Amino acid sequence: MQRKSKLAFLRNQMMGVLIALLVIFAISAVMSPYFLTSYNMTVVARSLAFVGLITIGQSMLMILGELDLSLGVMAGLCGVVSGILMVNYGLNPWFAMFLSLCLGAALGCFNGLMVTSLQLHSLVLTIGTAGIFGGINLVLTKGVAITNIPKEVQFLGRGDFLGIPVPFVIMIVVLAVASWVILKTPFGRYIYAIGDNTPAARMLGIKVDRVRILVFTAAGTLAALAGLLMVTRLGTAQPSIGETWVLPPIAASVIGGVATTGGVGTPFGAILGAAIIGVIENIIVLFGVSPYWQGVVSGFIVVLAISFDSISRRYFRGNR
Amino acid sequence: MAFLEVEDLGRDFPGVRALNDVSLKLELGRVHVLAGENGAGKSTLVKLVTGAYRPSRGRILIDGQDVDQHPELHRYVAYVPQELNLFPNLSVAENLFLPYDRAKLGGATVNRREIERAAQEYLDRYAITAAPRDLVRDISVPEQQLLQIARASTNHDMKVLFLDEPTSSLTSTEIERVMTVIRGFRDSDHAIVFISHKIEEVLEIGDEYTVLRNGEKVADGLIAKIDEPGLIRAMSGAEIAIDQRFRPDPPPEGAPEEVILDVQGLSGHGFENVSFRLKRGEILGFAGLLGAGRSEVMQSIFGYMKATAGTVALNGKDFPLGDTSRSVKAGLLYLSEERKLHGILPQLSVRENIGISILDQITGRLGISRRQERSRVHDIIKAYDIKVASMSQQISNLSGGNQQKTIIGRAMATEPVVLIFDEPTKGIDVRTKAEIYRIMKSLAERGVGILLVSSEMEELRKCANRIVAMYSGRITGSFDTATTSNETLVGAMFGSEKTNAA
Repeated sequence: MQRKSKLAFLRNQMMGVLIALLVIFAISAVMSPYFLTSYNMTVVARSLAFVGLITIGQSMLMILGELDLSLGVMAGLCGVVSGILMVNYGLNPWFAMFLSLCLGAALGCFNGLMVTSLQLHSLVLTIGTAGIFGGINLVLTKGVAITNIPKEVQFLGRGDFLGIPVPFVIMIVVLAVASWVILKTPFGRYIYAIGDNTPAARMLGIKVDRVRILVFTAAGTLAALAGLLMVTRLGTAQPSIGETWVLPPIAASVIGGVATTGGVGTPFGAILGAAIIGVIENIIVLFGVSPYWQGVVSGFIVVLAISFDSISRRYFRGNR
Repeated sequence: MAFLEVEDLGRDFPGVRALNDVSLKLELGRVHVLAGENGAGKSTLVKLVTGAYRPSRGRILIDGQDVDQHPELHRYVAYVPQELNLFPNLSVAENLFLPYDRAKLGGATVNRREIERAAQEYLDRYAITAAPRDLVRDISVPEQQLLQIARASTNHDMKVLFLDEPTSSLTSTEIERVMTVIRGFRDSDHAIVFISHKIEEVLEIGDEYTVLRNGEKVADGLIAKIDEPGLIRAMSGAEIAIDQRFRPDPPPEGAPEEVILDVQGLSGHGFENVSFRLKRGEILGFAGLLGAGRSEVMQSIFGYMKATAGTVALNGKDFPLGDTSRSVKAGLLYLSEERKLHGILPQLSVRENIGISILDQITGRLGISRRQERSRVHDIIKAYDIKVASMSQQISNLSGGNQQKTIIGRAMATEPVVLIFDEPTKGIDVRTKAEIYRIMKSLAERGVGILLVSSEMEELRKCANRIVAMYSGRITGSFDTATTSNETLVGAMFGSEKTNAA
């Protein structure tokens, strides 16, 4: 009985996404000889790592029933601040990175505190805070990138570990930890409970506000980490880092089975969703699709993916 | 000839046969009672006939034609669900007539004055006191329930009306209004299907009955030829002593009296200066009308709502209010009357719903132990006789009674000190009711303090040792159940202050 139900869990929550990913993978491999080359695979993996870190945080917030639209600009701001601390103030680069991570945590925590203490809608609040964080970024940099990031930290973004890009390894470790937290700890179970039915969670004695603030803080920290890794990857702290990391993580989460209304899904599913988007974007480039058309094609495929998901879900109604 | 016929109808869900081989005939001008315990298949049958589900087997004929080939026939069938299903931010008039074309009102534009005038007629007919332009969220729950029935009747094509527990949150005067409405429909040549767990109502209003059990029809016939025990026997398949008492036995003479919960001068939103003492081993009942402030008092003690004044002592120690997580840790639990809103985690499984309250007991260094969780949940499912296909089943797929038992089981798993039951048997069948009473009694006898809020006088008399009556936010009396007449109690519920034995 135990075995059967585990399989059922896989079938209903993840199997569809996994199969979709494999199918897209197979099609890509057949259609383009370059797709499966190790060089191309590291390209896909490396770019998945950055968006992936944001996706892990965003998916946990979505399971909680919240959303943070400022994670992208938060990543940019934290990346830029680390660059300023390292280059302009000559701080030890590791210490500078640590401070930026703390900044990410603080900004996430700020969002969480605003949402809980003033009972704001997180979607609307974070549209506002995204404006603030992005604005501070521009005030600090005047739109100019900070160059000469110390070589000693650049392997974080550029290096390989056993042939695998370091950022990807970091993302996988984070994913493993996040999955353990959300699936195996009481704290994780509380996230699902709150996302599913907040008044009932409060009635159960769950410290709803504390859980919320902590998840916002974690998501902010992960955003900062993504920003830092991008800085070390580029070797310069670009003010534009994170600009494109706002909506894809949300789409990835939905494709991966996370409900926008909360209570359902896993970070692992969301990463599979992000991988689907990543592979599609890659294959569009490999096919030499005109850059002007790339947005249309990838957007279309996202719409297709969630429609397929919704239809199959209705087909298996009542059987989560 | 029957207007609506159901022939050998069946519907399967993955792993469950929800309805099998049910036949039914509805005639115009008659009230047909659909009886059965929670999970017997009543809701499934209703959803099939109203077109919300498609049948797996069998067919439905309306006016002699197969609904499957003529889906437009569903327009003859109106359904009033048990849950309130209105638009809270729209006006009473708008709620009555939406969608406007169905009510044959207005063309491209709608004249507000016109629909309000039309609405007033309906409101008068149903004795609803709310004004047509009031927002639905501002009118009382009983009025909303009546409004739902009125809304169904604005469908001019309606020939068959399904009422699913239309009286579950009404008091006796309002129930009489609903009954009058039903008789009005019957006399104007409609077929009514009436679903209720209140046996007296069923016997009073019904002409024919059909009893479902475990998805199958087990009995049918004329109401005139069956009595209360007979109906209950058919529904439960067993003899249940309905007038059994479930009051905990008083502690032996001379045993020291222990106060578990001492509430003094508590005030808050909707109530004022409430004081009472809960003794070990007793069930303390709370009687009152809807809106008397009983739930508010309980939720404030529990910490879900804010108290503005007063003190609460738990086992002799001052207990700070306002934090549900502290209450739960101290063993003070509240089971809400709003099962859907405050109780279940709808998208999670039965296992997760129960497991959530015992996580600290089953979490090791490697995280939550799935094995321990399964075995604990398995024990609880067994102990409280919760009917599930598997513990991985989503809780919202369970019947109301089984959801309630899941929530009670979940609370029990934490070894509570004080348990507050707020309308624990709302919408629950006779047999499950008796089970819940038995659970409350045995808990009280084991020393758990029990507060029971109920709108059913029967329930309070059966279970509570003492009854506190509230009226409009104040306590109007405290009575020893055994020595108090119904009249005195009802008097207190309507505001006359009296007390025998504190």
